[in-house]
Amino acid sequence: MTPQPQSTSAQTSDLLPGFDHTAFDSNAVFRALLDAMSRPGRIYDLPVAVSAPDGLNKAATATLLAMADMDTTIWLSPSCVTKAAGDHLKFHCGCPISTDVKQADFAIARISDDLSFVTDLAIGNAEYPDQSATLILMVDEISDQPSMTLKGPGIKDTHSLAVKGLPESFHAWRAENHHLFPCGVDVIFASETQIAALSRTTRIEVN
Amino acid sequence: MEQTVKNPADGAPDYNFAYLDEQTKRMIRRALLKAVAIPGYQVPFAGREMPMPYGWGTGGVQVTAAVIGPNDTLKVIDQGADDTTNAVSIRQFFAKTAQVATTEKTAEASIIQTRHRIPEKELREDQVLVYQVPIPEPLRFLVPRETETRKMHALEEYGLMHVKLYEDISRHGHIATTYAYPVMVDDRYVMDPSPTPKFDNPKMNNMAALQLFGAGREKRIYALPPYTKVKSLDFEDHPFEVQTWEDKCGMCGARDSYLDEVILDDQGNRMFVCSDTDYCAERQEAGHRGPQHHDQPLGSADRGKAAE
Amino acid sequence: MYVAVKGGERAINNAHKLLAEQRRGDTDIAEIETDQIEQQLSLSVTRVMAEGSLYDRDLAALAIKQARGDLIEAIFLMRAYRTTLPRFAFSKPIKTAEMDVSRRISATFKDLPGGQILGPTFDYTHRLLDFTLMANGEAPTEAPSGAQPVDENMPRVLDDILNYEGLIQDEPVPVDENAPVADLTREPVKFPAGRDLRLQNLSRGDEGFVLALGYSTQRGYANSHAFVGEIRYGTVSVEIEPEELGFAIDIGDIELTECETVNKFKGSKTKLPQFTRGYGLVFGQNERKAISMALVDRAMRANEMGEQIMGPAQDSEFVMEHSDNVQSTGFVEHIKLPHYVDFQGELELVRRMRAEVEERLAKSDAENGTSQPEAAE
Repeated sequence: MTPQPQSTSAQTSDLLPGFDHTAFDSNAVFRALLDAMSRPGRIYDLPVAVSAPDGLNKAATATLLAMADMDTTIWLSPSCVTKAAGDHLKFHCGCPISTDVKQADFAIARISDDLSFVTDLAIGNAEYPDQSATLILMVDEISDQPSMTLKGPGIKDTHSLAVKGLPESFHAWRAENHHLFPCGVDVIFASETQIAALSRTTRIEVN
Repeated sequence: MEQTVKNPADGAPDYNFAYLDEQTKRMIRRALLKAVAIPGYQVPFAGREMPMPYGWGTGGVQVTAAVIGPNDTLKVIDQGADDTTNAVSIRQFFAKTAQVATTEKTAEASIIQTRHRIPEKELREDQVLVYQVPIPEPLRFLVPRETETRKMHALEEYGLMHVKLYEDISRHGHIATTYAYPVMVDDRYVMDPSPTPKFDNPKMNNMAALQLFGAGREKRIYALPPYTKVKSLDFEDHPFEVQTWEDKCGMCGARDSYLDEVILDDQGNRMFVCSDTDYCAERQEAGHRGPQHHDQPLGSADRGKAAE
Repeated sequence: MYVAVKGGERAINNAHKLLAEQRRGDTDIAEIETDQIEQQLSLSVTRVMAEGSLYDRDLAALAIKQARGDLIEAIFLMRAYRTTLPRFAFSKPIKTAEMDVSRRISATFKDLPGGQILGPTFDYTHRLLDFTLMANGEAPTEAPSGAQPVDENMPRVLDDILNYEGLIQDEPVPVDENAPVADLTREPVKFPAGRDLRLQNLSRGDEGFVLALGYSTQRGYANSHAFVGEIRYGTVSVEIEPEELGFAIDIGDIELTECETVNKFKGSKTKLPQFTRGYGLVFGQNERKAISMALVDRAMRANEMGEQIMGPAQDSEFVMEHSDNVQSTGFVEHIKLPHYVDFQGELELVRRMRAEVEERLAKSDAENGTSQPEAAE
């Protein structure tokens, strides 16, 4: 009865393990993501221990293990593309990995990458705004320092968030993205051990 | 490794934790993340057949199955009551397939699945309210076609809804909708609050808890993140108002809760009781008494008042 | 004295016991075995498999037994079980042209290559109750074999025979037979829906619903007069091609009924008059369903053909949203669940509205000094 992971050419012996307990760990990571997306800017600790392949960090890996499968297309920024990351995702998630960013359901990049690809991410359309990509941005540090002030659904009054190394261009894109509502891209910040999210509804004031 | 739970029926194969397979849960979870990112928008999802009939809470059950973890405590209510048969049946389903703790106390629950009511007790940030939704489309009875209603939502074209409500006013002097009263979410999407009485609509506004809505037969999921603006549609000259009762709860004396009418005989005698059974029980435990409480002779003064 | 109703759990458990008792019936009568159902109620079994979207004869027989013969309930049991099954592979397209045919008839040609093969059919039975079956006097009979074997490659009437003249709309087989096909059990349906999705919906749709809609197209609620070009019933093999193997393997046979209808089409400014097609395919031997499905499929192609929509069978959204009996029965029956919270709201509203009207009438009566309506009678 147990579904077999997608077979690939990868050597099983080289592979890092996925979740210890598929059902429980997926649920715990999803709950953190659901909380994070429902309460933009709040920081949540990664609730499980996972191994990250070269090219990805732990929170990004856990997010993909919990959310990606044969029905989702992954795009990895050039700095994340490693054989280990590709093998890991193909084996544990069975997800197709595309080099066309427009196809991505989940796009994964590092904050230090050239982020110009974000304007090519799917934003959905007016009738189906859910047909949009989610950007998983791997970062070094997330904190509640007041470098950004967030407002919008999920936020009681305002909320503070700081993401180390967030470039100016990101904010310009986010402002444009917010303007496209209900279309748009949602963002998950993933540090090694924490996650926080920005929903497309979130209004950001850069302090 | 998959966690499985022995099916209660002997000889049948094992089912995954919380019944659904992991792939189905992921599909629902992805829809849920989109739903909270686009408050009030109905996300299509490939709803599965569940072992209970469509129309009996399969949407809520699928959402709960995707959200629930081994450490959750589940409360299930139907019409506000924990002991209605369908609520019992759904609670048993999760007690068996996910082996989670269940409760009838609103305050003890981390997930509350509901049909037709929002608990009277204010919900907290660490709680999730899951609604069972029969018809998610607020425009359905104006325009039955999905192709058209979807376009109307896309264009934010809600004139027809206002016309319908205004027709009520011109005919009856007020809006003649008592439940499933449409709301505007974050000034963008008109949303069906599920067939909760309009009495409950104000509770949705800026609620601290996350609200998730599942429509299984219609295969739609939608959500209200915490602290989201939810406004019942109305007009300046006819502001939205909720139901009020001249009576109070016969058991606990509450005047602030939604009351069900109970027929006592065939002579037209009736009484009112809280639809939220936990709220009523808690008040009775705290010493509140209504006029028909069993240690209160019928027709005597309201001893509850002393306790209030 | 009012006592809040308690004991829902006990009531449910007892109701289940009573149900089990009723299912079993009189214990002096031998219990029906699922293999008897599988063998002797085989058309129930195939209907449950078709509308349950799960080809497993034993499970369908079990579902029928458990559902006390209520086929929609049995279909529901199959669907609920199907939900829990992980998907291992997608099959390659089945080839009905290579069907091992038990029955094959055409209404459009008196004789044709491959011949008319009557096979097992109720068609020409006289519908007289056979009391020998009741008296347990069933006589074992053996049907004689035909003089010559059935053609292995039975030509298809529409593709191989009629299309030879170019008289019928061409339906080219996709070049890439692994091209994705829509699946409504895995993707939410979006409208307008493609033909693949429409056919899937009809194939697992309620037999009675599809029958009624098909019938409606013959009575003027669509204009697509149809002939049965061909019906074939038999078994085909199902193949999957696991990625690690790189070649196809046969995983078993399934029984299917396929129907292709030929429909009149007057042509348009750009197209010559020609015949068009409707298609039906269903598990098991079920010609009623296969023909109905083909009629409704053709009706739903109205947009594609530039035809005026004049009946519900041509309205894909209407048909697809209401064809599923598990959905329909759930929602229709759910109104027996408690609705007293909503009803309370309505009760209060109706009382208030009546009071308002009475107040208005009383006021206008007082102002006009009119007599009571009763006095006039």
